[in-house]
Amino acid sequence: MSKKKKTREKDKRKKQKKRDWRELIYNCPYMLAVGMTSLVMIIYSDEIGIRAVVREAETAIVQVMGMNISTQEIALEQTADQMVKDAADLENQSMREQMAEDNAGICKGENDEIQSGNELNKDVEAEENQGNTDKRVKGVTKFEIYEPQETDSRYYSDAGKVALTTEYPYSMESDSYFNDAAFLGDSRTLGISDYAGLDAADFYCDSGMTIFKLLEPEGVTYQKTGNKEDLSQVLQQKKYGKIYIMLGMNELGYGNTDMYLEQYRKVVDQIREWQPGSIIYIMANLHVSKEKNNAETEFNNININDKNAASAQLANGTDIFYLDANPLFTDEEGFLNAELTFDGVHLYAQHYDAWRQFLMEHAVEPDGQETAADANMAQQVQQENVTGQSAEQITE
Amino acid sequence: MLFSSVGFLFRFLPVFMLIYLIIPAKYRNIVLLVGSLIFYGVGEPSFVLLLVFSVTVNYGLSRYMFWEPRSPQQNRAKKRARRKKVALVTSLAIDFGFLFVFKYWDFAAGTVNGLAGREIVPVLMLTLPLGISFYTFQMVSYQVDCYRGTQQEPADFVLFAAYVSMFPQLIAGPIVRYDEVADKMKSRKIRIRNIENGLKLFTAGLGLKVLLANQIGTLWNTIMTAGAGNLHIAVAWLGAIAYSFQIYFDFWGYSVMAMGLGKMLGFRIPRNFDNPYISRSVSEFWRRWHMTLGRWFREYVYFPLGGSRKGKFRTIGNLFVVWAFTGLWHGADWNFLLWGLTFFVILTVEKNSYGGKIEGTKVIGHVYTLILIPVTWVIFAITDIRQLIAYLGNMLGIHRSTVMVGTQQLIRYLQEYWVLLIACILFVTPLPGKMYHKYRDRWFMVLVLLVIFWFSVHEIMVGSNNPFLYFRF
Repeated sequence: MSKKKKTREKDKRKKQKKRDWRELIYNCPYMLAVGMTSLVMIIYSDEIGIRAVVREAETAIVQVMGMNISTQEIALEQTADQMVKDAADLENQSMREQMAEDNAGICKGENDEIQSGNELNKDVEAEENQGNTDKRVKGVTKFEIYEPQETDSRYYSDAGKVALTTEYPYSMESDSYFNDAAFLGDSRTLGISDYAGLDAADFYCDSGMTIFKLLEPEGVTYQKTGNKEDLSQVLQQKKYGKIYIMLGMNELGYGNTDMYLEQYRKVVDQIREWQPGSIIYIMANLHVSKEKNNAETEFNNININDKNAASAQLANGTDIFYLDANPLFTDEEGFLNAELTFDGVHLYAQHYDAWRQFLMEHAVEPDGQETAADANMAQQVQQENVTGQSAEQITE
Repeated sequence: MLFSSVGFLFRFLPVFMLIYLIIPAKYRNIVLLVGSLIFYGVGEPSFVLLLVFSVTVNYGLSRYMFWEPRSPQQNRAKKRARRKKVALVTSLAIDFGFLFVFKYWDFAAGTVNGLAGREIVPVLMLTLPLGISFYTFQMVSYQVDCYRGTQQEPADFVLFAAYVSMFPQLIAGPIVRYDEVADKMKSRKIRIRNIENGLKLFTAGLGLKVLLANQIGTLWNTIMTAGAGNLHIAVAWLGAIAYSFQIYFDFWGYSVMAMGLGKMLGFRIPRNFDNPYISRSVSEFWRRWHMTLGRWFREYVYFPLGGSRKGKFRTIGNLFVVWAFTGLWHGADWNFLLWGLTFFVILTVEKNSYGGKIEGTKVIGHVYTLILIPVTWVIFAITDIRQLIAYLGNMLGIHRSTVMVGTQQLIRYLQEYWVLLIACILFVTPLPGKMYHKYRDRWFMVLVLLVIFWFSVHEIMVGSNNPFLYFRF
């Protein structure tokens, strides 16, 4: 009897246990669902789970190790720093010299050509004269160089230089200049579209647009119709005299600056192929305000300068120009003026007028018109030179 | 650490819950306390010391209130009353002192310097410790309760510390009174069904915060980016409505998440919102909006001042004090004071004239409330007074400069946001709450919530991976 009782009790207990488990499942299906899916994500996801923790731990360890090294080898590193500095100084100097030479070389070379064509002696006055009148001067994109800081980010490094607007004898144009202009960009270009009053131009832009997405088939919004367009088709069908590109803000936390430059180059080359005669303007990304500037995230002016300096390299001074509107809107420290912005990134609507003014003041005549104008100019120059010569002869 | 972050959802919460469930019941409060301090310390490594210091000092002072010297004394009651008073005044001075230094110093200094025309008081530029406004109020409520005798015996140190720093409500409320959680603090049963339902509630709150508040917030941001002063009247109103949605779903979502977490831990955290936007008067709105804060001000400021029992003028004076402080509690700037005083004016007018009548109407009350509330939120949102005036002007159709954001942009905003706007309108009504409670235990609800959970996580990932995508320039 007692044995039977015992087995019965055991059975009861077993059943109870089974019921407990079942009840658990019936009672908390949601917890189990979230728990199981989370477990899967924790194991397999790169972003959420174990791998992310391991990655974070690794970077933390590397940082700690790096700090150890630095404390041990302070002296060594300092001398190394000095050397790097010296090297950088040298490089800067040589770069500046190089640029100066290039600049002079370009002018000289072209002048030489023209001079030999006109069969003139090397006359300083004539040279200057031609420097002023010759529209074919090649623009030069210069960089303001400073000592780079150390950065700790996979997205960017401190380039140690700020790209400046391509130096070129720009002409001042009116609204009609933008009749055959296209603007490609992100939300700040959208701002120009909405508030700058350049109604004649075509705007292809979206918030969140990047250089990586620009030519993709799902496309960007054509602001005149509000429809999505495929830029790779539009740019093959429609001919534009001027193309303005401003992208880079949404790329601050994507990939790195080398990838950005590579893609930017691809896009510019592609557009050049589709639009052979057009002037391409690469517009600098506006800086952010001091409040928004954060060295701990990717969101800071060093990163923006890094991206800007990269894209400015593509400016060749003949049909690709780099325009930096930052001086219009930033303070002495280079931060976007806090009074001009709500979010530290975008200008208030009323300030886009200044930007429009800036674009009108920095206009380049496209090739086709230039050649026509050039022909006239060449004649004029010849005449002037002839008269000059005769005048000289007379005085002699 | 924020609830809507990967670190909380997939690291802190699972590990904490596991330890919390495995550990014997008597250690749960210690686990809760240590867990909460870690939760706080991850985001605010230095301010966790401030929190610990505040809690310890407050606890010591509260014990002093109940302390009785052994030796027989004359005037026992009198001396006890004196001790209590000393302890209360000291604790209030310390608590509000910290709050003042960290939150209001620069505002006060700026005002004084501005009036003097030169720098008399230095500006400190301190960072505000997370949640200080909330935990200060909780500690003060405990001290006052001890002083008044509603709290009849001193709590255990761990209980008190866990009550103040409890991570579900540490950062953004609700402001819980000790007696509400006292029983559960001492002993609570962990029921699997409570964890299940708590997690469901938490998910609902997460969805409100991530899928509604964060999304509609970009509309407000877009409009403000163009700049107050440039807006067409309709755009200005659309912006005000978007901000009203954003702040509601943000705050409500956070409170619901806190309730859910509280439930998972075995507590009952009081409700903080009761469909405020369906109110028929502004008075009713404040009975439904941030209810625990309203209650705090009523119990610890308004009633001690005499409430409405000391004549009409004193009542109005008391209301003025309450609303000025309510405004300043939300932020140290003039616009917050103005915001509080706007409510003072509206509520005083309502109380003395049409308030009762309008609550009885079916349509007028709603329309009246829905027009006034977005206006008050605009005052709340814009700190710069000149911009605030410009924006309010735009809402009335007054423009100093040309309108730059007109119907063309309005149409674009509506095209982009109409689905979200309809969803927001729907979730302002009591309907989703009713549906949730009705179908909470059904199987399909599991699926719905699972989708909300992972969709929210996806949005969080996208935002955290690329903080700019969240704003989308």
